Amino acid sequence: MAYRELIKNMSRIRVYMREFFVYGFKSRDEVGTKSPRSYDNEKRRLESWLGDFMSFRQDAGGKAVFLSVDSRHIPRNPLYRAWKAASFTKNDINLHFILLDILADGKPRSLMELLATIDEKYLSSFDCPDPIDESTLRKKLKEYTDAGLLTTGKSGKQYLYSLAADTVDLDSWQNAAEFFSECNPLGVVGSFILDKYRAPKPTVFSFKHRYLLFALDNGILLDLLAAIRARQKVALELAAGRHGGRRQAVIVPLKIYISAQGGRQYIAAYSAWKKKIVFFRLDAIVKVKPLETEAEYEALQETLKTEQPRIWGVACGQCRLEHLEMILAIDPKDIHIIRRLEREKRCGEVTQTSENEWTFTADVYDAWELMPWLRTFIGRISSLTCSNKKVEQQFWTDYAAFAAMYGGGGNAV
Amino acid sequence: MLFSEVYSAYFNAVAAVITEALDGKLSVNRINEIIRERAFSESVLSILPALKNGEWAVLDKNFQTPIKNIPKMPLTTLQKRWLKAVSLDPRIGLFSVSMSGLDEIEPLFTPGDFVFFDRYTDGDPFTDDEYIARFKTILAAMQGKRRLHIKYRNRRNRLMHVRIIPYRLEYSAKDDRFRLETAGGRYTVYINLKQIESCELLEEYDAEKLIAPKRRAAAVRFTLKNERNALDRVMLHFSDCRKETRRLDNGMYDVTLWYEARDEREILIRILAFGPMLRVTAPDSFISLIKNRISMQQTVSRKMADSEN
Repeated sequence: MAYRELIKNMSRIRVYMREFFVYGFKSRDEVGTKSPRSYDNEKRRLESWLGDFMSFRQDAGGKAVFLSVDSRHIPRNPLYRAWKAASFTKNDINLHFILLDILADGKPRSLMELLATIDEKYLSSFDCPDPIDESTLRKKLKEYTDAGLLTTGKSGKQYLYSLAADTVDLDSWQNAAEFFSECNPLGVVGSFILDKYRAPKPTVFSFKHRYLLFALDNGILLDLLAAIRARQKVALELAAGRHGGRRQAVIVPLKIYISAQGGRQYIAAYSAWKKKIVFFRLDAIVKVKPLETEAEYEALQETLKTEQPRIWGVACGQCRLEHLEMILAIDPKDIHIIRRLEREKRCGEVTQTSENEWTFTADVYDAWELMPWLRTFIGRISSLTCSNKKVEQQFWTDYAAFAAMYGGGGNAV
Repeated sequence: MLFSEVYSAYFNAVAAVITEALDGKLSVNRINEIIRERAFSESVLSILPALKNGEWAVLDKNFQTPIKNIPKMPLTTLQKRWLKAVSLDPRIGLFSVSMSGLDEIEPLFTPGDFVFFDRYTDGDPFTDDEYIARFKTILAAMQGKRRLHIKYRNRRNRLMHVRIIPYRLEYSAKDDRFRLETAGGRYTVYINLKQIESCELLEEYDAEKLIAPKRRAAAVRFTLKNERNALDRVMLHFSDCRKETRRLDNGMYDVTLWYEARDEREILIRILAFGPMLRVTAPDSFISLIKNRISMQQTVSRKMADSEN
C-alpha cells in the first residue's frame, strides 16, 4: 500500500514514538513488530510531523533514530501532532466544510434539503464531482450530532439539523488553554482548542518536569476516565511483557495515579480475580473495552481510599504492612533537607528526635518502593531499619556497590 | 472521539486556505505557506494536489471557493467537557475565564479522579487572593510588554527589590509551583511566585530589543546497568530532559543527559536515586559531588559505629 502521511489509528505509531523518544538506541530491526517497510513508513511520518526534534546516529548496530527534546524549552508538546493526523475520505472533508457553511445561517434543515443544497450550490461548481448519497450524509449528520457539532429537532416526521449553539467565550479561555493543555493529564484536548485561535498569543509559560510522553496515552486515559465516570468495569488489553504475549485483565477502574517524577501514569483499579487493588501502567495498555456497570463502585472507591495512606507509590494489597525507619543526621543549618523531608514524606511521618537528628517512619504495603527515595539521602543516613529485612540488606548492599564504583569515596574519605 | 479528523492539522490548514480564498487573495505560494504553518512538513504533497484538482470540493482551479462563510466549527462536546473539567482545577482562579456556555456541561473528569502521588506537598497557594492578584499582574505585564517592580524574599529571607522584565512563567508539575524567569537585569533571576510580596506594573519595554535570558547548559554522562528493569525506569524518569543513549556490551548503556547548570543539585539527587545502576563517568566535577556524598555517608556511618562501640 502506498505511503500516506495520515493514519487510521494511533496504536502502531504510539509504539514507534515511544521507542524513538524514550530509548532512541534501537536499530531498524528492533523497533516495532512489523516489516521493514512498516518501519520506514512510520519513520517517514515522524520526520514529517516532528522533523525539528528527530536525530540520527550511525553506529555498529546500525542507524539509530531518536527524538531528542528538552521539554523545558518548548512551549507546546510536539507529540500532540500525532493526534492531529487522523486520516479521512474526500467525502469527510467535503461534507465537513459544506455542512458547516450551509448551517452557518442558523436555519435548521432536513437531510433532503441539505442533500439538494450540497448538490446544487456546492458540488455544481466542480467539473465531475462524485455526488454525495443519502446514506453517507445521514451517517455524517449522526456522527456530527454525536460529537456535539450539530443538534437535531423534529418538524412533523422529519429531523431537522442545525449547528450546535456555541456560547462559550473562547477568548477568555486562551491563557488557561495555553497552560492547561501542557500540564493537564488530558492536555491534547486543550491543544485542539488552541488550534481554534487565529492569532496565537506570545509564549508566556514554560514547563519544568513535564513528561511529553504522556501525550501518547491520552486516548487510553480518556477511555478510562469515561469508565470511571460511568462506574463501569473494563477489559484491558495489555501489551506483551518481557515474558510473553499480550494479556488481558478485567478491572474496575477507580483513579488515575500519576508520577510527576517518574514519567509514568497508572490506573488504580479493583480486580475481582485478585480480590485486591491493582495498578496498571497506561503505556502498557493497548485497548480499553467498556463492560457492565459495577454495582459496588462506591464501596470499591472507599477501599482504595482506606488503603491510600499505606501506599507509597503504586503497590498495595500485601497481607502485612512493612515498617521502615530512617534516621538522618542533619545539621540545623541544612534547613533545606528538613524541608525536603517534609514535602516529600508522602504517607510517612517526620519527627525531630534530637538536635541534629530527624527520623522518618512509614508503614506501607511495599517498602521496596521507597528505595530510590531513600538513596537520595545518602550522605546523611545514620540508620535504616525495615521490618522487611531484605529491603534493609538490599539498601546497604547497593550502597556498598555504589561506593565501590567511585573508589569508596576517593580522596574525600 | 479523540482521534478524529475534525481536530486534524489537515482540516485546520484547509479552513485557513478557505478563509483566505474568501478574501480573494489566494495564490499557490500562499497555500504552500498556510500548509507549512498549519500542517506537517510533507502535507503539501497531499493537500495541494487535492485542492488543485478539485478532489476536495472546497476550492476550484481558479482558487475560488463555493464556501460562503469563514469556516467556523463549534466546540465539540469533548472540548466543552474538557473546559468544564479545567474550570474545576484549583489553579483556574489564576485565569479570568468566563463560564458562559458551560453550565449544563458534564466535566470530562474531576480533580478527584487523579492522584499525583510523588508531587511535593508545599506547592503554591493557588486559591489565595493575593497570590492570584500577583499572578494576574505578572501575566498582564508579560502580555502588555511591561516591566515590573517586584519585592520578594530570597532564600535567606532577605527582602529584595528588583525591576525586571518578566520573561516566562515556569510551572513545575513536581513542585506544583510557578517561578518567574526574568530578563533585563544584569543577570537572570528566577523568583518563586510564592516568595513574592508585591509586584507593580511599570513602563513598557521595547520587545524588539529584548534579549532572552541566557541559560547555562551542562551535561552529565553515565553508564547504565540494566538490572532490575533499570533501563526502562531511567529512560522514562529522564525523558523530560534532552538525552542521548548508546548501547554498549553486556547490558550496559552510555547516556548523556543535558540540563541547566543551576539544576545540578536536583540532577545529582535524581541520579543518586538509581544507586549502583548508574555510574557517572563525566564530568569530573559531577563525579566529585557523588564522591562527596559517599564521603559524608562514610563519616556518618563511622560516627554511628563509634557510638555503638
